Amino acid sequence: MARRVPFVDGVVQLFATCLGDLVFPDAVGDAESLLRDAGFRVEFPERQVCCGQPAFNAGHHAAARRVARTFTKAFSRSAPVILPSGSCTTMVTHYLPALLGVEPYEVWELSAFLDRAGVELPRRNEGRTVAYHDSCHMLRELKVAEQPRRLLEQTGATLVPLPRADLCCGFGGTFSVRQPEISLSMADDKLGGARGAGAEALVTADPGCLMHLDGRVRKVGGVPVVHLATALARGIGGGA
Amino acid sequence: MSSKLSQPVGSFRVIARGKLGDERIQGVLDLSVTRLRDLRLDAWSGLEDVEALRERAHEIRMRVVDDLEGYLDQFQRSVERLGGHVHRAGTPEEAVALIVAICERRGAKLVAKSKSMATEEIGLNGALEAAGIRPVETDLGEYILQLGGEHPVHIVAPAIEKTKEQVAELFSAIEGRAVPAELEALTASARRQLREVFLTADVGVTGCNMAVAETGTVTLVTNEGNGRLVSSLPPCHVVVMGMERVVPTLDDLSVILRLLARSATGQKLSSYTTLITGPRREGETDGPEELHVVIIDNGRTNLLHGRYREMLACIRCGACLNVCPVFRKTGGAAYGPVYSGPMGAVLVPLYVGLGNAPDLPHASTLCGACTEACPVKIPLHELLLDLRRDLVQQGVSPRWERVAFTLWSLAWATPFGYRLSTALARLGQPLGALAGPGKLWAAGRAVPALAARRYRDRPRG
Amino acid sequence: MAEPVTEPAVDPALVARFVANATANGFTVHRGAAPLIEGAGVSVASYGLAESGSVVLAAAPDEPRANSLLPDVHVSLLREELILPGLPELFAALSGRLPSALAIVSGPSKSADIEQLLAVGVHGPKEEHVVLLPAAPPPAAPPQ
Repeated sequence: MARRVPFVDGVVQLFATCLGDLVFPDAVGDAESLLRDAGFRVEFPERQVCCGQPAFNAGHHAAARRVARTFTKAFSRSAPVILPSGSCTTMVTHYLPALLGVEPYEVWELSAFLDRAGVELPRRNEGRTVAYHDSCHMLRELKVAEQPRRLLEQTGATLVPLPRADLCCGFGGTFSVRQPEISLSMADDKLGGARGAGAEALVTADPGCLMHLDGRVRKVGGVPVVHLATALARGIGGGA
Repeated sequence: MSSKLSQPVGSFRVIARGKLGDERIQGVLDLSVTRLRDLRLDAWSGLEDVEALRERAHEIRMRVVDDLEGYLDQFQRSVERLGGHVHRAGTPEEAVALIVAICERRGAKLVAKSKSMATEEIGLNGALEAAGIRPVETDLGEYILQLGGEHPVHIVAPAIEKTKEQVAELFSAIEGRAVPAELEALTASARRQLREVFLTADVGVTGCNMAVAETGTVTLVTNEGNGRLVSSLPPCHVVVMGMERVVPTLDDLSVILRLLARSATGQKLSSYTTLITGPRREGETDGPEELHVVIIDNGRTNLLHGRYREMLACIRCGACLNVCPVFRKTGGAAYGPVYSGPMGAVLVPLYVGLGNAPDLPHASTLCGACTEACPVKIPLHELLLDLRRDLVQQGVSPRWERVAFTLWSLAWATPFGYRLSTALARLGQPLGALAGPGKLWAAGRAVPALAARRYRDRPRG
Repeated sequence: MAEPVTEPAVDPALVARFVANATANGFTVHRGAAPLIEGAGVSVASYGLAESGSVVLAAAPDEPRANSLLPDVHVSLLREELILPGLPELFAALSGRLPSALAIVSGPSKSADIEQLLAVGVHGPKEEHVVLLPAAPPPAAPPQ
């Protein structure tokens, strides 16, 4: 039985995020399973939409505000909000309160929360070699880097370090279509690094990085890219 | 505003494509920036408390920004007390006119130059040549570029993309005989060519890393020694400095110097850190008789009181260039002829106006590595984010983009609108790759498939 | 040349740190006697900095700048008690009285501008030497 976070009475709110809801629903399902198996009651506020980050990062504040308000209408402050996304967690924690003029919410990126809750994970990745990609938001804004690695190791995976792990994967939101050639070159460097390190899968906790790297792999081949929630819940064979 | 720095829309991508396609350049860029980054990290780890030092450096620089005129005034009085001259120039035109006048008054025919981004900003070399005065860059990298008629592509390692063979070709043309493409031969050739220049130049022009208000000191930081030679041998020394390059006291200078070389090249101090305080004194047998300091504005005053004032703290160390994943791919040319990397992406639009460099704030993935690397703690990636907001609010970003985001936000302002628009998008999926952003995405990546059922529509047990 | 402001007693750890860092920078450090190198420029250093392995040269009527700039080889004579820890101590010692040119030299002339390869002696001296001289004896006591 997992140890519960003392400040919570066992309830969490799950924010699928727009990419999770639309493109990676399996990963969101994995996130929900992990939280349930850890002993939490998971609420899924139906009115959730998107945190507004795509517009915000592109400089469109009015548009961002309009969409970000859906967050405040959907989520309450009575329980922590858990997101399977480092970049959306950063948006909601660091930028949304000032953007909307509201008090901050209690928001956690999934792996940071699970690690803090002291989960015990089944060993679904026994004997597998895995590389973990730190998304820039998680590395530099949330400073969550050890937790995903600890959780992956708990599942039996052997972690191999990526060369130049500090380098961005090249997604960067609209950057991926404003400077597509640079974006792809950066993806190729990241995927080449995973291959060179001998990884069977490249795991990331960010749907943006995932969509970009997985999209590249589907086009030109390479190491499969897997969401962290999937890697922890079902193992790296679970697909993107 | 300097139009020399302007970057027309689309030019970033075009130049970047050229660099991406050049395997040798990609290798050189990766090797160089990785090496410089590693050297900085090593040097920072050798400091007892680098975070505290960075915090102090930030505080010192912002204290200056808060009372820039006060400190410049103090600096001017200190220099004049020593017999030096201080000139203030608002625009590049005013600055070059001043400097050309100083040179003409001395009947100068040859000017020896030590590396200075400020002189690049104002286009000094072109102006001197137009006045019939020959400027010669003495910093090895800048000299090589000058011979080839090119611009610096990195503020600390300006000729980072050149090969030994390319340099040998340039030097052979000058010497009128074949100079082998070997480092020792090239170094000896440069030393020979430039020694003449140091000994016969009428005027020496340098930049200034940091000026000290309390003592009227100008600090030069080089590894080659050309800064010392240029400021010691010619009978007249002209210093060109951006108006924000000042610190209040020598103690403040020591904080900046302790970070500067470590952040730029991983050295504790560069081979030559020279403090110049006034022209030569009574009884001295060398040193310039005349010292002029030309302080340039060129858009800096506009930044003093706004959101971007922290950018004036920059000490031009290049640390941000060396960690930027985008710079690593493109090199400096894509950003423009003077400033590049994250600091260039922030500074150039601020100097020339967003309309004249609209690509630069978006020439970034906002990864934040630059902010992490900056010795004076400028929040570079946050300034880029703010510049993107300004692009929209000033109406510089294209209309269709604003319309697209507005429509998207209206659709997604309610759960119902979200459901409707995404259901329609799912129907129209195959068309997504045909035009606009979808097409740009699809050129190199599989278009993400919208799932058959959204997560919210799945039964949750 | 500046008056020594440190106590005449020399801190051997400070001197050792200076020697280590200066040597790492490419200085050849000698103790006692100056090497006889033909054509070398010779300067009397005002101070040494231990943290960065640097010699500090102040321009003065009897210390022309050219001595440390033009020759291929340069020799600095440095009395051990003039070695300070670092920049803050240097500026404290100078107490606002700066010469027209103060050169803090931390190694021979170098550049990595060609393919990031280290070239030595681009413009300034190719070789830098430091001769460490023992502390000056204390002033003789007046006769009783």
